[in-house]
Amino acid sequence: MSLEIFFQTIVNGLFTGAIYALVAIGLTLIYGVMIILNFAHGEFLMLGMYVAYGAFTLFGLDPYLSIPIAALLVFALGALIQAGLVQRVLDAHPLNQIILLLGVSTLIIGLVQFFLTAEPKVVRVPYETAVFTIKGLRFSIPRTIAFFSAMVSSLLLYLFLQKTRTGTAIRAVSQSRPAALLMGINVKYIYWLTFGLGAAVTAIGGVLLTPNYRMIPTVGQSFSVVAFVVVVLGTMGNFIGAFVGGLIIGIVEAFAGFYLGGDVKIIASMLVFILILLFKPTGLFGGKKGL
Amino acid sequence: MTTTPISPHGSRLGLRRILLDWDKTQLLISFVILGLIALAPLFIKSPYYMGIVILTTLYIFTGISWNIVAGFAGQLLIAHIIFLAVGAYTTIVLYDTYGVSPWIGIWLSGVTAALLGLAVAFITMRYGLKMDYFALFTIALMVAMKTLFLKWDFVGGAVGMGLSLSDPGFSKMIFDSKTPYLYIALSLTLLGVIVQYLIYQSKMGKYFMAIREDEAAAAALGVNTSLYKTLALVIGAAMAGIGGGFYVMYVTFVEPPQVFDLGLNVEIIMAAPIIGGLGSLAGPVLGGILNKPLAEFIRGTLSAGRSGTTLIVYGAFLIVAILFMPRGVTGVFHSLYLRLRQRFVDGRNP
Repeated sequence: MSLEIFFQTIVNGLFTGAIYALVAIGLTLIYGVMIILNFAHGEFLMLGMYVAYGAFTLFGLDPYLSIPIAALLVFALGALIQAGLVQRVLDAHPLNQIILLLGVSTLIIGLVQFFLTAEPKVVRVPYETAVFTIKGLRFSIPRTIAFFSAMVSSLLLYLFLQKTRTGTAIRAVSQSRPAALLMGINVKYIYWLTFGLGAAVTAIGGVLLTPNYRMIPTVGQSFSVVAFVVVVLGTMGNFIGAFVGGLIIGIVEAFAGFYLGGDVKIIASMLVFILILLFKPTGLFGGKKGL
Repeated sequence: MTTTPISPHGSRLGLRRILLDWDKTQLLISFVILGLIALAPLFIKSPYYMGIVILTTLYIFTGISWNIVAGFAGQLLIAHIIFLAVGAYTTIVLYDTYGVSPWIGIWLSGVTAALLGLAVAFITMRYGLKMDYFALFTIALMVAMKTLFLKWDFVGGAVGMGLSLSDPGFSKMIFDSKTPYLYIALSLTLLGVIVQYLIYQSKMGKYFMAIREDEAAAAALGVNTSLYKTLALVIGAAMAGIGGGFYVMYVTFVEPPQVFDLGLNVEIIMAAPIIGGLGSLAGPVLGGILNKPLAEFIRGTLSAGRSGTTLIVYGAFLIVAILFMPRGVTGVFHSLYLRLRQRFVDGRNP
């Protein structure tokens, strides 16, 4: 591995990792506030991709311009799922929570497959293969845009959580639900808002993938597995951890892809995952939740 | 769970004695349903419908295997299908590569799946993975195994493995008609129902349920929780492995994306016990007779050949079951049973 290829692999890893980070932030946000594993998380990413596809085929809208549309639509869906379904099992046995969300995931995949068939869909943009080069390193234009968009989205969400009153309320609920209740925070409202936000940032991740990613109804499943890896690596419910973890897993996958071939790279993530689970299940940040 | 003193009137009548005990009643319901399934070949002639009956029966068996782990012992074993997959591969590799008869193969499938279950139990206990982390571990294992099997030429790699049906024969468990398959599935399921009942009634079963309700309290009262969680996992894994051995003989091929898949996991493992009532005796049976037939009916009549309906049905099944029928069909039957008993028994002998 020459130095040039080494840096190229790092760049590729970071570009994928930024999307992973965004998806994992959505997942960790939901877990941090509700202590619920969202098994339907990948489907929000998939829906983001299909919204971008729909906007592109119906109105000729560039995928990057459909980010707000996808975010809003999936936000509404996430909020609905929380208020209508998840809210009822928050205090139930974890098995019931998992089964319910698996049901939601299966239902969403089924509906998409029913109305849009399982045929792979592609968004063909003119700049799909456009590349610019800096010092011998090749940067794909759509992936560069995706990288910076993901970074900006993560930063905006972080600032929202840190600097606004509502964001502070979300963090308060994640730290202590009873205390938040006593302070007069409307916990139910925070719950659906959080679920919606978590779903929306994940959908943004999906939109950013569309220029160079084929979509099928089950496309979210592989991403959701990776998102779980990232979330555990970065400590469940830890915002910064999910962000850093996403970049790390992205780089790990890029190197695994280089050495083992693209279709086996998932093994590397799974091995990393199993090792983390076994030896440091609290993740990088030692079990500190921190949104 | 309630045991009532048997009234003097009922001491001579076996049926009355059974009906006074809800657990035995559930066993009776299971036997009646299996008996009806046994009569199916008399009425059903079309291979398509016979196929549905066979898969329905198999799904009851695989449902029982998960019911013991998740329903009785409350373990968050989500990707239970890995055991079925390992069982399927064991039977077909033994038959295809070594010429071992499936009649022996499916029991060896139970052994390999049990060993995998033992490994999973050992690793998760050793590192103290509980609840959510345990659930994630099983899913990660499933994804890792899928990739391994795709790359492993010994088990057919990405192509998978298939049976040649050119020359059927009893010793190869390959038949022209569907009827023998039904009776093999039925025998397995009958065995499953009996094993499940024996576990439920035994001390071990009570320990499983103590762990499900409150593991810390069970441990404090002296229950060896690690041992009993391992036992639940190994028993459930072995049964799923045997089911997988039969599954591959019936569907005649196996490939990694087909069996290492959460969608099939819902259909073949989770749906029956969840619809029927997770953790109850009759749950997998009552849920099982609704599961596949209903899904097939909806797919056949309403979808007009569009894909995705099966997924919609299963998704809706799970959501409705969890939100509106947390104790499943068996729960509904149980309240009905209690009301009947109140009227006919308790009312008469105050």
